[in-house]
Amino acid sequence: MENFGLLMEGFQVVLTPTHLAIMVIGVMLGLVVGVLPGLGAPNGVSLLIPLTFTMDPVSAIILLASMYWGALFGGSTTSILFNIPGEPSSVATTFDGYPMAQKGQSTRALTLAFMSAGIGALVGVVVITLLSTWAAGFALRFGAPEYFSVYFLAFCAFIGMGSSAPLKTIISLLVGLALSTVGMDTITGTLRLTYGLNELMGGVSFLVVVIGLFGIGEILMTVQDGLHFRGVASRIDLRDVFRTIAELPRYWATLLRSSAIGVWMGITPGGPTAASFMSYGVARQWSRPGEPFGKGRPEGIVAPETADHSAGTCAMLPMLALGVPSSATAAVMMGGLMIWGLTPGPMLFATKPDFVWGLIASMYISNIVAVVLVMATVPLFAALLRIPFAVIGPVIVAICFVGAYTVSNATFDLWLVLLFGVIGYVFSKLSYPLAPLVLAMVLGHKAENSFHQSMILSDGSLDVFWSNPLVGSIMTLALLLVIVPQVVKLIARLRNRGTLRSAH
Amino acid sequence: MVIKRIHMEVLVACLLALGGVAVAGGSLELGVGWTDSGPDAGYFPFYVGLLLAIAGFANAIWTVILHRGETEIFIDSEQARRLLSFLLPMTAFVIVTLLLGLYVGAALYLFYVAWRQGKYNPFWAAGLGIGFAISLFVVFDTLFKVPLLKGPLEAFLKIY
Repeated sequence: MENFGLLMEGFQVVLTPTHLAIMVIGVMLGLVVGVLPGLGAPNGVSLLIPLTFTMDPVSAIILLASMYWGALFGGSTTSILFNIPGEPSSVATTFDGYPMAQKGQSTRALTLAFMSAGIGALVGVVVITLLSTWAAGFALRFGAPEYFSVYFLAFCAFIGMGSSAPLKTIISLLVGLALSTVGMDTITGTLRLTYGLNELMGGVSFLVVVIGLFGIGEILMTVQDGLHFRGVASRIDLRDVFRTIAELPRYWATLLRSSAIGVWMGITPGGPTAASFMSYGVARQWSRPGEPFGKGRPEGIVAPETADHSAGTCAMLPMLALGVPSSATAAVMMGGLMIWGLTPGPMLFATKPDFVWGLIASMYISNIVAVVLVMATVPLFAALLRIPFAVIGPVIVAICFVGAYTVSNATFDLWLVLLFGVIGYVFSKLSYPLAPLVLAMVLGHKAENSFHQSMILSDGSLDVFWSNPLVGSIMTLALLLVIVPQVVKLIARLRNRGTLRSAH
Repeated sequence: MVIKRIHMEVLVACLLALGGVAVAGGSLELGVGWTDSGPDAGYFPFYVGLLLAIAGFANAIWTVILHRGETEIFIDSEQARRLLSFLLPMTAFVIVTLLLGLYVGAALYLFYVAWRQGKYNPFWAAGLGIGFAISLFVVFDTLFKVPLLKGPLEAFLKIY
């Protein structure tokens, strides 16, 4: 019950008019970036971080986190009304959300999405509340080798559990690690990999890279196919809302199952996108026979939305307790924490309890705020998408460049945004995953430092990573996460080949 | 003109591998061995670069072996045209911004795209660009006290 008391103190921190106002602003900004294609949660948060330098950390993290929740909700609006996922994690919502809206039940589809998203988020926050002290206490036993093993685990989880080809995930991780080493080395004080360019002395900011990869890259993806907004009616009928809420308990099994998937994928670095797809697939296999999926089946909306949001919220747990973010947005937020001078990890719970518990308490409130706001503003944001692209496109681009400039007032960063925009476009088209690159950039320094310290401890021997049961089991688990899925795939392929042969 | 996906896959994988070679090469100059105080500065990036080079070339070879002869299209001429008509003004925006500052750059960029590509009345488009630049100024310079890049126009108007 210790956590409960701490949570109450957190509520005391958060329940002030200023913080509530910050939440509303954050959620609204989040809805805007969630709705607009080309602006997503990771680069929305990146754009906002430079503006938080002067704020106190509690307000700043509440703003960023609220924006994240808003973006998760906003992504569902466009998925359902326009068949355009505003966020990668809401792609699975389009499968059944848009068909249901086409049948004239857009209110029902939106309410199902938002309510199940809200439930998923609340489950996620409850899990965080219950587990965070335990996780932080566990992490207090960590030394340098353990930390390196946890970072290694995060990288391996991306390789093994991600939806992209493992080799491409590895490449993406390595590019991120390489970028993180550019500039002044914090351990030896030497300049690394600047190739004589003075502009690279300070390193490559991950914020600039995120803005390029996710912002410009995504908008280039949108541009190449031309934009076809064929929206369906976006009026919200209050009676329909309540009727749908009354219908919700019928999907308790889907809600429970999807929350569990989301919590798991959020804590292990699977991320919300993988969680929503997995949950949709599971729902399709396990649901009682009825309407076919893909034609507006309610479970097809409930499942991905619940998992998306519980994964999104749970991604904060490893970020706070271990300093290992498990989604791109959490990685950006963690970078923000470090810029504000806070060190994510177990010590944060001891030194800044008001920060940690303020954030957790704010997650309860801002998710409820988000559900209410998103329902109230559906017509507004649907109208936003009807603005012609020749106006909104350049506005998004200009905001991305302005945001990149404010990171460190460097004009060189503008070129970097352009460069990473093109890289992001090419990577997305060739299905190289972007999240591992961001994660590796944020964790690169910490991974290198802990590796460095471990090597000093052991005098250069890799045995240190199997020197005690804790670090050994984490390392082994990490390797298994990479190896097992590949072996399973290989066996499946061999079997298939066998059946093909016998069929001949 | 059509670019096939397989060609792009191999090209990108090779470029990434070359990037890995560059990283490993750059690290070699820093020293990749062992010093009295632990690993040298280039130790970590060297192995990252080396692995990247291996993974990149492996991916290129893998793609050629597995997907040879596939005809999936990376980009067709229509898409390329759309992409360029977006990329070129964006690049011009960056260049103009470096010369004239972010406010003037953004205003001109919005004006140009709305006028030429959105087929708006030039006065309306100019209003859009100037309105956007002013709202940027209010949000960044005034509200958040984050100064944006300024150019000769701001100097002339004595706005700092």
